[in-house]
Amino acid sequence: MEPLKPARRKVKKDNRNTTGYLFISPFLLGFFTLTIFPILYSLYLSFTDYDLMGTPSWIGLDNYVRMFTDDPTFWKSMKVTFFYAGIAVPIRLVFALLVAMALNKIVEMVGLYRTLLYLPSVVGGSIAVSIMWRQLFGNDGAVNSILGALGLPTHSWLGDPDTAIWTLIVLYGWQFGSSMLIFLAGLRNIPKTYYEASSVDGAGPVKQFFIITIPLLTPVILFNTIMQVIQGFMAFTPSFVVTNGGPVNSTLLYVLYMYQRAFEYFDMGYASAMAWVMLVIIAIFTALIFKSSPHWVHYESDTK
Amino acid sequence: MKKSLLWSLALAFVLFLSACSGSDEASGEGGSDDSGEDGDQVTLRMTWWGSQSRHDQTQEIIKKFEEENPDIKIDAEFTGFDGYFEKMAAQAAGNNLPDIMQQNFGEYLNQYADKGLLADLTEYVESGQINVEGVSDTVMESGKKEGKLLGIPTGTNALTAFYNTDMLEEAGAEIPDENWTWDDYVATARKVHEETGEFGARLMEPKNLFEYYLREKGYKLFNEDGTDLGYNDDQLLADYFTLNKQLVDDGVAPGYDTIQQIKGVEDELIVHGKAPFDFRWSNQATALTSAAGDRNLEMTLLPGANNTEGMYLKPAMLWSVSENSEHKEEAVRFIDFFTNNIEVYKIGGSDRGVPIKEDIRNQMADDLSETDKKVFDYIELVTENSSPIDSNFPPESSEVLAALEEVDELVMYGELSPEEGAAQFREKATSILTR
Repeated sequence: MEPLKPARRKVKKDNRNTTGYLFISPFLLGFFTLTIFPILYSLYLSFTDYDLMGTPSWIGLDNYVRMFTDDPTFWKSMKVTFFYAGIAVPIRLVFALLVAMALNKIVEMVGLYRTLLYLPSVVGGSIAVSIMWRQLFGNDGAVNSILGALGLPTHSWLGDPDTAIWTLIVLYGWQFGSSMLIFLAGLRNIPKTYYEASSVDGAGPVKQFFIITIPLLTPVILFNTIMQVIQGFMAFTPSFVVTNGGPVNSTLLYVLYMYQRAFEYFDMGYASAMAWVMLVIIAIFTALIFKSSPHWVHYESDTK
Repeated sequence: MKKSLLWSLALAFVLFLSACSGSDEASGEGGSDDSGEDGDQVTLRMTWWGSQSRHDQTQEIIKKFEEENPDIKIDAEFTGFDGYFEKMAAQAAGNNLPDIMQQNFGEYLNQYADKGLLADLTEYVESGQINVEGVSDTVMESGKKEGKLLGIPTGTNALTAFYNTDMLEEAGAEIPDENWTWDDYVATARKVHEETGEFGARLMEPKNLFEYYLREKGYKLFNEDGTDLGYNDDQLLADYFTLNKQLVDDGVAPGYDTIQQIKGVEDELIVHGKAPFDFRWSNQATALTSAAGDRNLEMTLLPGANNTEGMYLKPAMLWSVSENSEHKEEAVRFIDFFTNNIEVYKIGGSDRGVPIKEDIRNQMADDLSETDKKVFDYIELVTENSSPIDSNFPPESSEVLAALEEVDELVMYGELSPEEGAAQFREKATSILTR
């Protein structure tokens, strides 16, 4: 009597679940072998000294200790990354929103404009755009040629430690396409009647922007902000291709330094530890943004 | 029914997992089993770094080799130098190194040797499968580490001072010969700058040139067992920095803002007649001269009163066979072909250095291109005026050299004084080497 009950239940469970598991097994396989396993393995590696070629040897917290106490380059790259993300992300978001609003007004050929403005992001993270950037801001590049033609002083944009990071920030801001599309979708969802009603009450476009557009767009702003902050912290290609971290490490983004440690100095254990520190930082930022969201994000369905 | 579903799920898992691990092993064998076995043909993977002209030449060489060895097919993988060793490191981690690998002397060879990733080629040389008759011992020695022969040099190389005679003559400056000193170098550079308004020299890159500078003064970059720097007086590095910094400050040499725009040999200042001097490796003569067009480039020893102490011959590159290769015999056949077949050098010239075999050099002597002839003569000159190469580079040396480059940039940008830079470099190097 006793064994009968669990057995029956088991059969029943198998019957339903197995089919389900079978259907999702491709995802599960990929998830476990390509996501979970590498994540856990890198956590393990972060506690080891591993030069990629030998076998990892356990050194406990040494990598973390070294990172925080004995590696000025680590702090430098951290500083560069915070500066970069802190400036480039707002620039991109503001830019994306402005362009989205402009596009929202255009009636004719909106598809064409949307495509044109989205293009930089399609080729976005790509090497090609970064190489183009290198040419544009090079000493003999287009930017200097234009400045020269206008009789303005030229500048070694990429060679000057003070300006090199700005070229990367501009590059990041320029690739605003995907945020722009999301903003555009959000703008389209705001009922026209709100604007009509408010203009009857005498509100001008600026007032409408602050009392209707922004509040109703806050969920989209929240989403875009989180996505862009994560992207900003993880930026790699621009500094790798355009400046390779130079001059004098002024554009050494965190992930680029991590790459250097892993593959140029064969210091995979340390690089893994760096990856986990970045994970924690991104998690903290995401959590902070989420925590703050009840204060400024409004959902229409909210009943207040 | 349910059971069969469960079974098939389990089976799918097992198959998937075994496929994963299986592919690891298969590729560890040089990817040769999956594609190469038809008609008893063996496929070898081969990697190198280089310029476009080297890629083209090497593929032509491979074609020649495959014609003579129809049982071997070579899969070529190549990139520029940037990224090459990063890629190799990832392959080494996956136990997936190519059968034949272009290897670099110094920190890289030592790193791979340290991990036992390269096959010992001694037996193949002893059995004559790699014919190195008439190759000098010092040249063969450079491929050895702890008694194992881990690479066959592709050719001989040396640092050289390229100079543009036209520019020097135009400025009325003295044409350097092998007896010139650092003072001569600075004086000539200044004179060219004053007379022509162009740069008088290219900024020296610290990676190879500081080591030469030390050697010329009787020191080494690393100590005997590679656990510390090989010099105690920071003034040496401070002097080196000062030498360069003054040239930069006076506009005689370009700063890093100009140097960083150079993305290949073709962009070099000397190629465009914008600086008369450029210190670099002799095997780049062909690439440099062909880019320079009809500008007249010559080469001589680097400056310094004791430059015979400072100069050294270096294997331009090495051919190594990876320890995990399943086809060492076939890989060795390619290396033998590369070393002994005159066709190789007719195609490649001195791009991988001057041939290590005397009879190849002799056979080539008659129909050398003008540039190759200069390179051959130059290597001859260095052979008579040089000291043995230092092979005491620790595995961490690529990081130490990167630190040197970083400090050099800081000094040239004026963020550190030469003395501060020298002290900071020692601090960084010691911290890296004692870690």
